[in-house]
Amino acid sequence: MSERWDVLVVDDEAVIRDAVRLILGSEGWSVAVAADAASGLAHPALETCRLVLCDMMLPGMSGLDVVREMRRRRPDMPIVLITGYATAENATRAIDAGASAFLAKPFDDTELLNQVRPVLERTDVAGKEGQP
Amino acid sequence: MKLRIGILAILGVATVTAVAIGSMSGLILRAHRAALLAQLEQGADQLSETIGSSTFYDMLENRRPALRREILTIGTQKGMERVRLFNRTGKIKFSSDEAEIGRVQDLKAKACAVCHSQEQVLQKLPANKRSRIYRAPDGHRVLGIIRPIYNETRCWNSECHAHKRDETVLGMLDVNVSLAGADARIASDQRQMILLALLAIAASSLLLWWLNERLIVKPVADLIAGTRKVAEGDLHTTIPAEAGHELGDLARSFNEMTRRLGEAQRQLTQADKLASVGRLAAGVAHEINNPLTGVLTYASFLQKRLQDRPEMAADLEVIVRETKRCRDIVRGLLDFSRQTPPQHHPTDLNEVVRRGAAVIMNQLVLRQVALDFALADGLPPVPADANQIQQVIVNLIMNAADAIGDDGGTVFVGTSAIQMPARGNTVIRTARCPKGCDLIDPGTRIGRYPGIKVLRRAHEHDTLVHLDPVYGRVNHRAGEPLEAGVLANYACPRCRARLELPEHKCGDCGAPAFGVQAGERGRIEWCSRKGCHWTRCEALDAQGPQAYAELVVRDTGKGISPEDLDHLFEPFFTTKGNRGLGLGLAVTWGIVEGHGGTIGVESEPGQGAKFIVRLPNALPIARPAEPPRGTS
Repeated sequence: MSERWDVLVVDDEAVIRDAVRLILGSEGWSVAVAADAASGLAHPALETCRLVLCDMMLPGMSGLDVVREMRRRRPDMPIVLITGYATAENATRAIDAGASAFLAKPFDDTELLNQVRPVLERTDVAGKEGQP
Repeated sequence: MKLRIGILAILGVATVTAVAIGSMSGLILRAHRAALLAQLEQGADQLSETIGSSTFYDMLENRRPALRREILTIGTQKGMERVRLFNRTGKIKFSSDEAEIGRVQDLKAKACAVCHSQEQVLQKLPANKRSRIYRAPDGHRVLGIIRPIYNETRCWNSECHAHKRDETVLGMLDVNVSLAGADARIASDQRQMILLALLAIAASSLLLWWLNERLIVKPVADLIAGTRKVAEGDLHTTIPAEAGHELGDLARSFNEMTRRLGEAQRQLTQADKLASVGRLAAGVAHEINNPLTGVLTYASFLQKRLQDRPEMAADLEVIVRETKRCRDIVRGLLDFSRQTPPQHHPTDLNEVVRRGAAVIMNQLVLRQVALDFALADGLPPVPADANQIQQVIVNLIMNAADAIGDDGGTVFVGTSAIQMPARGNTVIRTARCPKGCDLIDPGTRIGRYPGIKVLRRAHEHDTLVHLDPVYGRVNHRAGEPLEAGVLANYACPRCRARLELPEHKCGDCGAPAFGVQAGERGRIEWCSRKGCHWTRCEALDAQGPQAYAELVVRDTGKGISPEDLDHLFEPFFTTKGNRGLGLGLAVTWGIVEGHGGTIGVESEPGQGAKFIVRLPNALPIARPAEPPRGTS
């Protein structure tokens, strides 16, 4: 069965993956998760999802490189970078790498939804229109 | 063997003195001896002439007993060696030493050879040629002078006909004077001279030794001891530098060098500590943020789900609020380590105090610490980052509670609106030369604030000077000292642009003023005369007294020792042993500093401590233009 994913979360921390899945899932969106860069880039959800949330520091590969690779494959898809270093330089580097937005850890559900909801609600309409 | 400079100098001077005095004494002694001898010779010659004339008639009239008596009398006088009379064949006819009468003198002997060595016997000789010096059998020296007895008419035409007419010299009078007395005098003079020379050498060596010990050896030994101490890492070393000569200058430059090294080292250590804080904060931020995100997201998720169960929602609210506080502390730490400027919003200090106190109230109750508030009414809002200031309040109250200890007590927290003049209270944080070079030097701090670095030229010599960044205060720090009253020129250390303001004069002494551009509106001016403390900033003076919101946190604890007071705000400085990381007050200081405010502490051991934070009601004009900070 080909599952449709709304969001792909790439983070090495299980608690972050679970928390994002819980909050976004409760809003009715389907969430795919990957624990490292390689499995994130190989995940089938990357081809169809409408939003990616990616940690900036991943084991083995920088989140910025992951963003660059994803941006190459999905030029128009919103990508939100998650980071523990909420500094201006990090924000600049994230935007330079192709991230659409920047989410500072630790965040609560409101901050997460504030970043995610506009994107998904906009494409919800588009997605529904596009379906037969 | 190590030869000391002093010994080499003393040896050198002693040698030179010895040679000089020795050769001078030699010359004097020689002249003295020659003069004495000439005098003696002359005396002996006169004596021989006297003897010759007094015995003339005895000889002419052949009064032999009288002649003998006369010769004997004169010849045995004190100082006389002997007197004798030769006939023309060299036979001794009369002598004061009668044992030699009748002996024939060998005419080849030294005394006779002057005249008798040539074919033609010389008839006349000057006195000095007729004299000779020889040693008597007992070793003392004798001066002998001979006197020819010439033939005269009366000699050859007298009745006795003892002499023929054609004879020229009839005999020889030989007068011998003892030189023992004269020699003794010369020897005594010589001994005195040598003694004097030795005394002079000893005295000059002693003087030199004393001067050397006092002027060179002691300061040099102090310097060596000082450099050893510095080499061992003691940068608090100072060496005595009272002397006014070059070694005193050297000691003073040494002290100045050591002081600056110590300062540089302390600043490096401080920078090291700050870098460590940065690494630690970054590590903590990364490690702690993930679990915090878990707590925060789950708690906030649950909170929404349980809105219909108020008793649980309220508890979850506490979890969410406190987790957010943790997040702010981590961010605050990160901000401190990165010197991130605070986000200023009009803030009610009293409200922040209440919020901060509420957060830690439970802990304080457990530790039996009561809070006593004295919050001023109508406190105007201050531009501040409420989260950061709340952290300051929490830090200060927790610190006070720690100082009180386990027995409990009261922490007094007060706020008030105060006014303070700009002079003595405003920190200049922007200073530029006329061409725009930044003059603020974070590397050299004066009372915790970066100094204003300028180049001072006096006596055609340049040195760096750090001007006190607190307006109205003049604790400037110069690379090299300058005597009071000297007019100096000031320039930018980078582009050498002159800082003098031709149209401005010192308000106290009338000397030329110099100044730097402090921010967009203000210019700070100082007097260019060393020792004159005049300084002015028209913009700051025109503003009148500045309004501040003051926060006081006072405890009844054990107080802080004076030596700890100096280090209180340094990162990793703690008096709490293993219980404290030593970051609380460093973070506090960083936050207050970031608000353009000041934090001070007053304490006496046993009397508790009082922390005073002052936040300006208006952002100071002399603040650095902050770099643009963009976030997504």
